[in-house]
Amino acid sequence: MIKNEIYKFFSDYVYKHTGICYKENDYYRLDGRFNTLVKRFELKDVEELYALYIQKITPEMHQVLIDLCTNNETYFMRDLKPFKAFANEGYAYLLETFPATLSYSIWSAACSTGQEPYSILMALESFGKGIDLNKIRMSASDISSEALAKAKKGIYSGLEVQRGLPANLLIEYFSQVEEQWQVQKSFVDKVAFKSFNLLTGTFPIVQEHVIFCRNVLIYQDMENKKAILKNICDALRPGGLLFMGAGESLIGVDVPMKQLQLGKAYCYAKEK
Amino acid sequence: MKILVVDDSKPIFLMVEQMLKELGHVGIWAENGQDAFEKITSDSSLELVLLDWNMPIMDGLEFLIKNEQESFCSAPIVMMTTENKPEKIKEALKHGASDYIMKPFTADIIENKIEMVCD
Repeated sequence: MIKNEIYKFFSDYVYKHTGICYKENDYYRLDGRFNTLVKRFELKDVEELYALYIQKITPEMHQVLIDLCTNNETYFMRDLKPFKAFANEGYAYLLETFPATLSYSIWSAACSTGQEPYSILMALESFGKGIDLNKIRMSASDISSEALAKAKKGIYSGLEVQRGLPANLLIEYFSQVEEQWQVQKSFVDKVAFKSFNLLTGTFPIVQEHVIFCRNVLIYQDMENKKAILKNICDALRPGGLLFMGAGESLIGVDVPMKQLQLGKAYCYAKEK
Repeated sequence: MKILVVDDSKPIFLMVEQMLKELGHVGIWAENGQDAFEKITSDSSLELVLLDWNMPIMDGLEFLIKNEQESFCSAPIVMMTTENKPEKIKEALKHGASDYIMKPFTADIIENKIEMVCD
């Protein structure tokens, strides 16, 4: 039986550093993570783990805990429609809204293991009409160093490449390395990956043409969601686009952005 | 959705049938390409074909080529096979497969592929 004060200590720490909220009735979701940490630090039990963390949290202990508590659930072309819409109507919108721009800056703000930024590049090239990827500057960030390390390699298992990715795109953009699949090198080289905490990081100001921040704010409470979205809005150029996850919206958040329909998908455009 | 599962292994069919059932679909078994051809030409309600590659009598590729020549199957065909080399995937797509599932797979991959090819 794990003591309530142990759950509270870890859930408070995770909330403070990621905004991910484990409420009392969600405490059981920490059990498996505790077991992983106990094994990782070669301890006897959760009591010893607590004793270790309460004494001093080293950068390594911090990162291991954060990596474990962030949800790295993702897949290629998640929900498909936003990617198709961005490559067609979305790109046409960028050309019209930013006629003098030589290159467009796109930020995948919670990229997890990299499927999202690679999907954006694949979508632009395969669903778009003659888009020159030299005109795209792609950056991607995540809070989890483990997820980022995998993203930078661009190597995925057979199961991972089958989730969401049509087979024609698999053979066009990946090569097989033994039983795994490697994203083509030009895409790996094109994405500037960086570590970034949406809750505590310093956002760029009026820099991005497009931000993808999908399926991450659902784990945040309203206060954090508002703060992150205000920063995201500030990071966009006037007229810039924000893509959120299916089921996510700006309802209840006061930012100067309006919903915009692009083909079969919806996104938000910052007011000009 | 009524889905024809073409595989010479009954245990694999039963596993896929169970996955399909959990996703709200009905799996019908064909033991090889010839059996699949007979079932498709006598049952127009089949909406999708999941097709193994290596089978006796008529294999998956032979089935695709026969369908290319005779157009007896209007339902989308998705390969479901242990063959996982890019050349094999290319070949199946070239001969009319709509998509490709490599074994091993999970129910959510089947669900995702069904959504993509039937959208």
